[in-house]
Amino acid sequence: MLDYDQGPEVAALRADLRRLIADNVPRDYLGAFTEDPADLEVAQSFCRLLAERGLLCMAWPEEFGGRGASPWEQTAVREEMWAHHEPRGAQYMGVNWVGPAIMRHGTPEQRQAHLPPIARGEVIRCQGFSEPDAGSDLASLQTAARRDGDGWRITGQKIWTSYATMAQWCFLLARTSRGEKKQQGITVFLVPMDDPAIEVRPIPCMLGPHHLNEVFLDDLWVTEADVLGEVDRGWSVVQEVLAFERVGIARYARVERLLQWAPAALGDAWDGLPDELRGRWARMLTHARRARLLAYRVVATQATGQVRPGDTAAYRIAVTRLDQESADVLMDITAHLPDAGDEARRFRKAVEDHHRYSVSATVASGSIEMQRILLARALLAA
Amino acid sequence: MNTDLAPEAVEYGLTARRAIEAAGGDELAQAAERESDRRVGDKVLDDLGAWDLDPRGSADELEAAAALCRAAGWWALPHPVAERLARPRDLDADALVVVAAPGPAGAVDGVDLRWVAVDLDGRRSRATPRPADDPVRTSGFVAALDIAPVDDAGAGDLALGLVLPCWTLLGMLDRAMGLTSAYVQQRHQFGQPLSSFQGVQFQLTDAEVERVGLEELARYALWSLEAGRPDAIEDALALRLAAIEAADVVFRITHQLHGAIGFCDETTLSWLSRASQPLRRLPLGLSATRAALTARLGRQGLAGLFGP
Repeated sequence: MLDYDQGPEVAALRADLRRLIADNVPRDYLGAFTEDPADLEVAQSFCRLLAERGLLCMAWPEEFGGRGASPWEQTAVREEMWAHHEPRGAQYMGVNWVGPAIMRHGTPEQRQAHLPPIARGEVIRCQGFSEPDAGSDLASLQTAARRDGDGWRITGQKIWTSYATMAQWCFLLARTSRGEKKQQGITVFLVPMDDPAIEVRPIPCMLGPHHLNEVFLDDLWVTEADVLGEVDRGWSVVQEVLAFERVGIARYARVERLLQWAPAALGDAWDGLPDELRGRWARMLTHARRARLLAYRVVATQATGQVRPGDTAAYRIAVTRLDQESADVLMDITAHLPDAGDEARRFRKAVEDHHRYSVSATVASGSIEMQRILLARALLAA
Repeated sequence: MNTDLAPEAVEYGLTARRAIEAAGGDELAQAAERESDRRVGDKVLDDLGAWDLDPRGSADELEAAAALCRAAGWWALPHPVAERLARPRDLDADALVVVAAPGPAGAVDGVDLRWVAVDLDGRRSRATPRPADDPVRTSGFVAALDIAPVDDAGAGDLALGLVLPCWTLLGMLDRAMGLTSAYVQQRHQFGQPLSSFQGVQFQLTDAEVERVGLEELARYALWSLEAGRPDAIEDALALRLAAIEAADVVFRITHQLHGAIGFCDETTLSWLSRASQPLRRLPLGLSATRAALTARLGRQGLAGLFGP
């Protein structure tokens, strides 16, 4: 029978997370990636706090310091973090997929070196995937790793690399050979970002600082010990990595929080809104629920060990559109905000941030066109 | 947490779909229009035990009722299945219809039933269909209603009366998508199937996102009823809003992808599309549903992660 009650454990976890956020994250916080270094420090200390309480890597297996949290507990964490402007900063990547990839493919030495710092909330990682000529077509990447004695020399360029200016490590894809198919001959390397052979150039953009960077690799020396998994077979690791991120960011959670916040932020001005705008607000609340339920559809399937790529794609299409459409409605609402008052000011800034960031929703982490291709494939194969 | 109907309800829905097919399938809607009579296919519903279901009695039966409505929608079955399943148990009545201002009306023609109407404020009335002026082909069995007030105790009827027809509409969208997916793979132009064109694929995905989104909201609103949640009416209105939007998108796209054949009587899509109209515009069309939902939400918003 249908049951959308997530149970007392999830409710308690959610309450716990909200309490921690209220007590430790400033009310003005809009994410770690601002010009103000204090925001990054908020994220770093919040991660340490989560780690101390066993909440940072709770989805990890117990043998690696986690507690094997249920898919619904993991969902609650994703929702609460994103709704409150991701107070884990960039570390969600290490927790969500870099750590699990190292668990599955790493050597004992790699596990020992990399997993404890992630679990303690001490390290930021970036993802060296996209290149100027390899975006959606990632397997066309050209960054080359050339054999040199008992190691490799890597030369090439990555682009759109989030957090590269603050990361200590990069999960890097490079081409080690050329096979019949372009997916062959790709290898994953775990490389330290403080190597002088790596140069990071920030790309100024409307999303804000630190979001986008170019990374230049000029004869970067790495050894066999830096290879994750098998040489030339990194594509399967990538596929797995992307599978860990099947549900991805819980964008609907922030949308819902902002929409629900709007009447309080406007105060008496809410009653003066045009009926048409309030109608659009109600519609967006319905769409936010729809996206949340589509995410739950994916999580429920995942919980049974199955994968339905069409469901994932449908969710991603719905949620990224929701991000953008809600941003337009919320920006429209902010035009009616009172001039003064902390609540109105905070709401305006949060909505403005949401609007700027939403522009990337249908491009980042797999463009909406790729999701449509995947959904069409599933539909036509059915 | 469980986002699926009970397996028994799912099985019942599949059984119903097969039984309706065996009883005539698509021919039933055509016969009803030809004969201005919605009783075609009555027997199959009796055989399925449809009227023994008590959707207000248990969650199991409510889910089975929803699955039956969806199966009826798949075939555009002319019989008012959802309306009969939603009939009030405390009044001597055969079927329930939700009505709204200005003129109460519903798809109540072509079948001789004792109707009870409930409005958005929970006011219940005896409802008597007026003779319809238009032929069934254009009226879709819609008729105006004469109303005789009974009581104000229909809040519980209202949510059920809104939710079950959305399951019927969902069944219609399931079918429209299935027909269209098959059609674009069969139909060749420029030497290749239509489905090989990305312009076609992307339209199909836009429609599918609407359909699966509606499916999830329909499940949620059903659970809201099952659980006796206080905001079941808001959940039902949110569902209805999404259902009308989804139907608009799905039928626009499925018609487009069928090309001219899609509006010919020889294709099922044409019948489905017309049969969906009363469900989409009554008791409230898109704008009026949105206005009703907005009014009910007030400043509280919709229940959820951050709602009331």
